[in-house]
Amino acid sequence: MRLSFDRREPGVWISAAVHAGLLGFALFAVVAQAMPEAQEGVPVEVMTENQFSELTKGVREADKPMPNATPRADRKAEKIEEREPENAAKDAPAAPTRTAQMKLASVDEMPLRSESLERAEEAKAAKLAQEKAEAAKAEAARAEAAKAAAEKAAAAKAEAKAKAEAAKAEAEKREQLTKLIEREEAEAAAEAKAKADAAAKAKAEAAAKARAEAKAKAEAEAKAEAEREKAEEAREKAEAAKAEAAAKAKAEAAAKAKAEAAAKAKADAEAKARKQAELADKFNAGDIKTMLASKAPSQSTGSTGHEVQKMAALGAATGTSQRLSPSMRDALVGMLQQQIERCYAAPPGAAQGVVLPMLDIRLNQNGSLGAEPRIMRGGASAVDQSIAQAALRAVRRCAPYKIPAQYAPYYNDWKAINAEFEFSAT
Amino acid sequence: MNPADAMQAAQPVADMSLFGLFWQAHLVVKIVMLGLLGASVWCWSIIVDKTLLFRRTKEEMDAFEDAFWSGRSLEELYRSFNDRPATGLAALFVAAMREWKRSFEGSGRQIQSLSQRIDKVLDVTIQREVERLDSKLLFLASIGSAGPYIGLFGTVWGIMTAFTSIAASKNTSLAVVAPGIAEALFATAIGLFAAIPAVLAYNKLQASVAKSQSRLEGFADEFSAILSRQIDERLSLAA
Repeated sequence: MRLSFDRREPGVWISAAVHAGLLGFALFAVVAQAMPEAQEGVPVEVMTENQFSELTKGVREADKPMPNATPRADRKAEKIEEREPENAAKDAPAAPTRTAQMKLASVDEMPLRSESLERAEEAKAAKLAQEKAEAAKAEAARAEAAKAAAEKAAAAKAEAKAKAEAAKAEAEKREQLTKLIEREEAEAAAEAKAKADAAAKAKAEAAAKARAEAKAKAEAEAKAEAEREKAEEAREKAEAAKAEAAAKAKAEAAAKAKAEAAAKAKADAEAKARKQAELADKFNAGDIKTMLASKAPSQSTGSTGHEVQKMAALGAATGTSQRLSPSMRDALVGMLQQQIERCYAAPPGAAQGVVLPMLDIRLNQNGSLGAEPRIMRGGASAVDQSIAQAALRAVRRCAPYKIPAQYAPYYNDWKAINAEFEFSAT
Repeated sequence: MNPADAMQAAQPVADMSLFGLFWQAHLVVKIVMLGLLGASVWCWSIIVDKTLLFRRTKEEMDAFEDAFWSGRSLEELYRSFNDRPATGLAALFVAAMREWKRSFEGSGRQIQSLSQRIDKVLDVTIQREVERLDSKLLFLASIGSAGPYIGLFGTVWGIMTAFTSIAASKNTSLAVVAPGIAEALFATAIGLFAAIPAVLAYNKLQASVAKSQSRLEGFADEFSAILSRQIDERLSLAA
């Protein structure tokens, strides 16, 4: 192949150029359309709404059709709260405590190290506070006792004092009185004796009053003093006790904390083991009771309807059960014809028959005749009539028919069969 | 995960452009495709060349016949055609005239069997001319008949690899099967693309060759008749 251009033979170049052009055009201009997404076929059975509603009315495993078959309803329909699926389980009761899984869960529930430390600290603080409180209480009790004692002492003292004072006051008063009397007597010796009596009386009264007042005052004073003393004492004591208690508590806490830290692992392990053993061994009637009590109704609340209907039915007696497909029907009629034909004796002249007899055969589920067979349609001619009668006789004679079990669900459809039967004329 | 999604994730969407089809193909299929493309280029170059050649030959033949029957003397014609490479009818004429001249140029006149010799020379020249016209047409015939088979070989190979990949992916969905088969069929397409023009052109060019051949033979017979008449005249004169 010459690569130089020859005017007389330009074919190579023309051809190559044309091919290159075509290829370029195909590459850049003609882009294949994107293929549509591959979609797998899914077998779908199309059914009418009516068929669906019929389907839902009966139950396959029921005994027999019911006159007024209605869908099963466990309870009456009511408006219930519809929950989202993620919230549906929210108010389910807590799981019972005594299950195998629970044991493990309880073990996990045991306090961990950090938690126990915190708790120990908390406990320490609580103990401290309690101790303090106890100390304060004890102090208060002591203070009360002291107070009582002080009171008694104070009372005695006050009494004595009061007595002394009263005596003194009496003496003074008596002195005053005498003085007064003397003065009065000196002043107005001549005044009325009655007046003097009254005055004396009043004086006496006043004196008595003053005495009483003084006594009360003295008593109050004594009491206040005693109280002050008592309070001071109590304060001192309380302070001392407090300091003591604080020191003691501190020391104790430190010691305790150390001990606790040392004993904690052991305690933890022990407690865990003990709890496990307890859980395993314990028979808690209360637990069972609560478990039984906490049994809430299951999330599925059963089917609902207008009214409760717990009778399972094969569906309504009128046209709600499964239907024979045409091929199954043909096969069934063929089977019946085969069985009937064995008992069929062709009447004379049967070959001239024109009309095939159509028979109405009522069957029970076991294949026996449910009712007298009838001729639905026979010919008008004598031959046709005789053929139909012969067929009727054959149907009666062969009566219990063998019907395969696969047809049982369709009984509703074949319990009455209207079919044309064609028997050989011989 | 949805199986369809998984499948799509596993298998990138097939590039269905021409270049994509070529690039995804197996090496053997690629070689087949490239060979077929080359064959197509070569076929078309032959077609173009031959078409031009036949047109030229026809024009030359027409021109020569015009000149031949124009009433000019044979000597004159021979002189005008001898100096350049002659093709077609001119080549016949020149070959026959050369033999004629050679027979008379020598000392002894060899006229006795001159007519036979001229016939032989004309036959040889016709054969040579036809061979010249006919050359390379066989390649067209070969491509026309073998091209589809070569393409089919590429297709079979491609489908084999496609089925292997299907077996590997354990998925018989059309999306898995289709790209491999499409790219395999691309080889057959190229084979047909090369073969169809080759077959058509071969038939057409073969017919042209036959026509030219018959024309050459006709002229050779005619010229041979003229020359043999001359020879007979010379012989009768000599006798």
